[in-house]
Amino acid sequence: MRAFVLTDSSLARHAGQFVWLAVDIDDAANSAFLVKFPVTGTPTLMVIDPRTETVALRYVGSASVPQLEQLFRDGADLVRGKQLSVADEALNRADRLQNANQTAEAIKACEEAISAAPKNWTRFGRAAETLIASLRHSRNYEGCASRAVELYPRVAGTASGAGVADRGLSCALRLADEQKSRADLTAALTKAVREEAENPKNGLIDGDRAALYLSLIGERRRARDEAGMRSLREELAALLEQRAAAAQTPAQRASYDFYRARVYRDLGQAEKSIPMLEQTERDFPTDYVPPLWLSRAYSAMHKYDEALAASDRALARVSGGARTMVLDLRSDLYTARGDKAMAAQTLRDAIAFSESLPPGQHDQPLIDSLKKKLEKM
Amino acid sequence: MRKLLLLLLLAAIPAFAKEVLPFIDNDYAKALAQAKKRNIPIFVDAWALW
Repeated sequence: MRAFVLTDSSLARHAGQFVWLAVDIDDAANSAFLVKFPVTGTPTLMVIDPRTETVALRYVGSASVPQLEQLFRDGADLVRGKQLSVADEALNRADRLQNANQTAEAIKACEEAISAAPKNWTRFGRAAETLIASLRHSRNYEGCASRAVELYPRVAGTASGAGVADRGLSCALRLADEQKSRADLTAALTKAVREEAENPKNGLIDGDRAALYLSLIGERRRARDEAGMRSLREELAALLEQRAAAAQTPAQRASYDFYRARVYRDLGQAEKSIPMLEQTERDFPTDYVPPLWLSRAYSAMHKYDEALAASDRALARVSGGARTMVLDLRSDLYTARGDKAMAAQTLRDAIAFSESLPPGQHDQPLIDSLKKKLEKM
Repeated sequence: MRKLLLLLLLAAIPAFAKEVLPFIDNDYAKALAQAKKRNIPIFVDAWALW
């Protein structure tokens, strides 16, 4: 989104409409902000009323230019106190409840908004996406998948439709094999995700389109269909290569690297991603992500010395919560090399670092999962 | 956990894409003061490199 949407020159006309604030959730300077305005996923887009310091609108996920412009209109209207419909009021309440981490109440408010939605309501897509995301967040996977199937026809052919189908499918794939509804829900949502992945008119940014393919691959994995997985990966790799070749800036080209690196690694062709990642590291020499992905690519190639050298460079550049992730992946690298002692020590370092993070960036579920991983070593 | 990390990594995009909107970086107090002075709302992009 930062490489394609926020660089779109058509957005310049909105520059005077808001004060624009970018918040790097890994920067310790933002700890107090994150306590006041919790962020559960990135990107999270918010409109804040400065008079009350409250969230007037909240949206989790990347947005296309039209979606973003709709958020600008909605956010400005809400702060101005424009007369609201019942549906608008309910969706705003859902935003506030989600911000307060009251997911069950937020789900009820989303359902109220959808029930009261006027014909051609411009916020219907966002209400549907918020509902499905909240159901998934609450781990009500059957409810999430069922509602996604029901709501998808009303948002099909839009970026919101892709979001509803994709999140719904991720819920369906979490259902147990013996759950009766699983097969039908999975089939319906797989079809919907496929439709959106192949629809060039739904306004999706390429990263989100790639994510749809990854969901389809996940569905084939669950079906233990190796040939189907390979076919989808090859299709995705071809799409990404085509789009990367048309990129206008290094940042745009680099935004494809990580999907390409993932898909090549999964195809057993990790070596194909080395030149592009090296180019991106040259283009963005202070960025930890290219060397981190290089370390993963070299690891997949069983070139552990090169992998550790790349991991060293990533560690030297990373800060905040992302450092925990880099250490965790470094631990995996030691495990792959057969060095259990270093793997365990690196994981202990990751836990200690994560525990030292300030409020707002302290992630207890992550710490708990790392501790469990350490116990199993 | 492992899957989550992979998904997070997949969202990686270099941080310094050139933006057409005048974003203030990592300074809520500054943004709040400006917003109060100009009487306009704040639009927040909370992001992560991964």
